[in-house]
Amino acid sequence: MELGLGIGLAAGLAAIGGGIGVAIVIANTLQGVTRQPELRGPLQTLMFIGVPLVEALPIFAIVIAFLLLGNM
Amino acid sequence: MDTQYLKVDLFGIPWLTVNVPNLILITVAMAIVFFVCFFMARKIEMYPTGAQNALEYLVQFIKNVISSTMEWERGKNFFMLGITLILYVFVANMMGVPFELATAGDHYVWWNSPTSNAVLTLSLALFVIVLTHIYGIKLKGPKEYGKDWFRPVPFLMPFKFIEEFSNTLTLGMRLYANIYAKEVILVMLVGLGTSSLFWAFGAFVPLVVFQAFSVFIGSLQAFIFCMLTMVYMAHKVSDEH
Repeated sequence: MELGLGIGLAAGLAAIGGGIGVAIVIANTLQGVTRQPELRGPLQTLMFIGVPLVEALPIFAIVIAFLLLGNM
Repeated sequence: MDTQYLKVDLFGIPWLTVNVPNLILITVAMAIVFFVCFFMARKIEMYPTGAQNALEYLVQFIKNVISSTMEWERGKNFFMLGITLILYVFVANMMGVPFELATAGDHYVWWNSPTSNAVLTLSLALFVIVLTHIYGIKLKGPKEYGKDWFRPVPFLMPFKFIEEFSNTLTLGMRLYANIYAKEVILVMLVGLGTSSLFWAFGAFVPLVVFQAFSVFIGSLQAFIFCMLTMVYMAHKVSDEH
């Protein structure tokens, strides 16, 4: 029971953090593109480098959630 | 959580287990990719029509992906790698969308997305990361490659070392987690729909909507996998100035 709660908390909190982080990156990229439409290509590339960096930590949390799920 | 695969010990060695349905599904995915490309590129014409148009669009797309991360002189080495990766991952992601086959009693899976298994995606990611190191040595020379570990400042070397492992882990786990979650939600929706007549109508619309969404997820993850491969490759291969 407690373990299940822990799994839910780990995955849910990771989703919150990842959502906020990715939203900040994409929002700022969008702002950059609206200000300088000709920089769309490079900004997109930078976004696709930045989003996985932010996303890495939630993925680690999901891995831990899966590991805990295996122990249940 | 009752999804399980039929596993067989290879040659009777206890630690050398082979996932039989996954092997079959990987082979099917490779066959689909091969035959689709083979028959799309059969009749090449000066003024392309139909299938050739689609293939040329894909080629142009990969060209754009590569040239957005590194200069084309270096990047054209990885052109075929990019096409192979994006097509294979895309087909593998799409395989579980229309249906899933499993035995009724103990729920042994015989048909789903092969990428919803962490072993496949992690080994694909490991293969990509090892390939970036090989090409780093091949295209820049062993000396430049070795110096790259200590750039921009020498004390960051341990972090660059750890980064390789975290890159492998995240590249594989991102694909796996997305596709696995997709499979689980699709199975849950189907389970809900077959539970009673009332829910059969209730679950039909969400199921169709989620299938469309999983087509989107699958294509996006295939694109991101290819893009990140090229980004990691560019880190190792291109000169910083």
